Amino acid sequence: MTIGVKKVSLERTTRDQIFLPAILEGLLTTARHFFKNTFSPGHGDVDTIRYGEPGVDPADYYPERFRGVHRLMHREDGSVRCVACMCCSTVCPARCIYIEAEDRKDDAEKAPHSFVIDELKCVVCGLCVEACPCDAIRMDSRIHMPPSELREEAVLGKVELMKRGGPSVAVQGGLGADYREQAPKADPRFSHDPH
Amino acid sequence: MTHVAAILSRFVATLATRSRAVAGLCLAMVLGVLTTACDEPPTSTQAPVLVKTEPGTLIFHPSTGPVEVTLVNVSDQPVRVDRPRIDETTPDWVAFTVGEDASATQIPAKGSITFHVGVEAGYFLGPGDARPAVVRGGEEPEPTAANEFREGKSRLVFSVDGVPHTGMPIRFEDPSWVTQYMLPALVKILLLVLGFIMPLASLLTWMERKQSAMMQDRVGPNRANIRIGGLNLRLWGIVHFIADGVKMLFKEDFIPKRAHRALYNLAPVFAVAPALLVFAIIPFGDGICYDQLFQPLSGADVAQCADGRGGTPLQVAQIDVGLLFYFAIASLATYGTALAGWSSYNKWAILGSLRASAQMISYEVAIGLTIVGALLVYGTLEPHALVKAQETTYWGIVLQPIAFVLFFTAGMAETKRAPFDIPEADSEIIGYFIEYSGMRFGLFYLSEFIETIFMAAMLATLFLGGWGLPFGMLTAGGFSSALAATLFLTAVGLGLTVMGVLAWRTSKAGELFGAVVALVGVLHLFGAVYAAFTGWGTAIPHVLVVVLGMVIWGGKVFLLCGVQLLVRWTLPRFRYDQLMSLGWKGLLPLSIANLVITAILVYLLMPGLTPAS
Repeated sequence: MTIGVKKVSLERTTRDQIFLPAILEGLLTTARHFFKNTFSPGHGDVDTIRYGEPGVDPADYYPERFRGVHRLMHREDGSVRCVACMCCSTVCPARCIYIEAEDRKDDAEKAPHSFVIDELKCVVCGLCVEACPCDAIRMDSRIHMPPSELREEAVLGKVELMKRGGPSVAVQGGLGADYREQAPKADPRFSHDPH
Repeated sequence: MTHVAAILSRFVATLATRSRAVAGLCLAMVLGVLTTACDEPPTSTQAPVLVKTEPGTLIFHPSTGPVEVTLVNVSDQPVRVDRPRIDETTPDWVAFTVGEDASATQIPAKGSITFHVGVEAGYFLGPGDARPAVVRGGEEPEPTAANEFREGKSRLVFSVDGVPHTGMPIRFEDPSWVTQYMLPALVKILLLVLGFIMPLASLLTWMERKQSAMMQDRVGPNRANIRIGGLNLRLWGIVHFIADGVKMLFKEDFIPKRAHRALYNLAPVFAVAPALLVFAIIPFGDGICYDQLFQPLSGADVAQCADGRGGTPLQVAQIDVGLLFYFAIASLATYGTALAGWSSYNKWAILGSLRASAQMISYEVAIGLTIVGALLVYGTLEPHALVKAQETTYWGIVLQPIAFVLFFTAGMAETKRAPFDIPEADSEIIGYFIEYSGMRFGLFYLSEFIETIFMAAMLATLFLGGWGLPFGMLTAGGFSSALAATLFLTAVGLGLTVMGVLAWRTSKAGELFGAVVALVGVLHLFGAVYAAFTGWGTAIPHVLVVVLGMVIWGGKVFLLCGVQLLVRWTLPRFRYDQLMSLGWKGLLPLSIANLVITAILVYLLMPGLTPAS
């Protein structure tokens, strides 16, 4: 396919200089939109999604990677996946995540004693999700933070966050204890290491 | 109380959900009414009236000169009338004289004769120094207070084919200044300002946002609502203007520290007052006769009322220099802008006010020269007479199409709104009202919309026949013919029905509104059928004609406001230099050319108006 060149004349024609034909054309265009949108069901060409109207579920319109209210994922036994590594609260630019760690009795890891997110401070950047090493915190709940009348209602604790969560298919702690053996090996042909 | 409200809201909700059934019910009712109305009218036993006098009752004021009276033959055969004379049996007959132009003649079928009747007002003047002697036989008039006119009555009589006619009552009265001018003016001002301008101006604040949204594929304001009982009335966000008003009133009224306080406070008044004042010359109807509201009147009757005798013109101030008054007052609006900019002590504000002044000068000239064309064609500066002249000839838009375009353009510049929003210029300087807040800003905002309405009213008056219909279809007595009535009712009915059905289909909220509109439209269609078959429409009760005229006038103004909004949201802004070159190099030469061509054409085609005659 060749690239075509459309030559636009920059010369001022009489038609341009008396304004009126162009103005009428423009008025007809806007008038057409006006009448179509005003008098057709569902407002014609208006693409605005009317969130909050009855019968309109925001979740139907949110994209796959939409960042909504946080949720905490579960292990197979239903306990929290979080190991209180503090990555999320460290990376959080709004400093809205507060974690107190406690010892987890059944294995060598820690667990959050309390996990509090102040949704009023959250800037919904999603860095906590990216920072999480064990898929414990997610923002794919598809729920827009609902408005609240009291400040306390917007500060979510571990229980509320876990209520939205579910089991994660990821292996807890990444590849497991023998991750060095499981890790893919580099192709020796491209190795620059001296033998 | 809440119980009643709940029942009412339930009722309305039911109406809304059952609009189909309601529409059917109303249709049946309409059919019933129409079938009864179509029955034979009761036949009168009196002898038919062969000749009618126009006006029906002649009213004289002290300053009235000889008045033209017309005898119209309404029968199908020619009739002979003797010379009309004043009835000698009436007490004040000596004061009135029938002009020399009256004579005994034959009036052809549907024809008419015209003559003059005069009055000697001094006859009714009470004893005083200035009283002229009236000695013409007849009784001595009753004594009255010094230098005051008393009321008097007489009657004009004549016979038709030898049979005495009931004649035409003549009245002489001298109403006080209060009843003649002040009270009617006050009522008209209240009606116009509180009943039309202010509601429409505040509605326009919503309409502008909603219409622009619809034009740009957006939704626009639709959140504000009124809750009555359990019913949530959102009405496409119309109630937003109430929310806006409340917001404006309750916001902080901030005055900059170094502002000139007195002028700063005065500026909004200077902006709004002229905008409201110029409405005084706009006629929103012909004339209204107080005591003959429910009977059909002739053109002469209404003309007499519009002259202030026995009625009042539907125009706040009927002044001969009407259009000049408009120029004088409209130019004052610039003071509001200039003072607002200067007194704010803000450089953007003063830039805005300077621009406003420059813009005003460059457009006032074009507007003035544009109107001179219309003035040449119709020969009057008085808006009421202008509309009457358009009724009998052609509308201004036909005779002065270029002037219409020029006036529309210059008028939009006068309202200081896009594409001529140089004084405001959101993107450069915020405008002359940058420092204003709360209701003071609201007044500036509102005055722009009032000016928009005024421009629409002015366009309707000058170019679109004011309260009239095209081709003189609406006369003082009703429609000019049954065909005109049928055409008008069909057009209105079709328009309303289509609009109603479309509104009905748009949304659930529109169901009730759409059903009502469609129902009114269908009613009009039935009226059209009725008019087509019975010949109804040429003699309608006076009050109905007045209301119809007002509605037509209001409709024209509303539509023209819509067109102005359409232009405002379609065209991009002019740059300052482009604006100046458009004003001085475009509109001014064109309006002068229009004026010259009009003058030549008037000289050539209307020989009765040449200076030589």
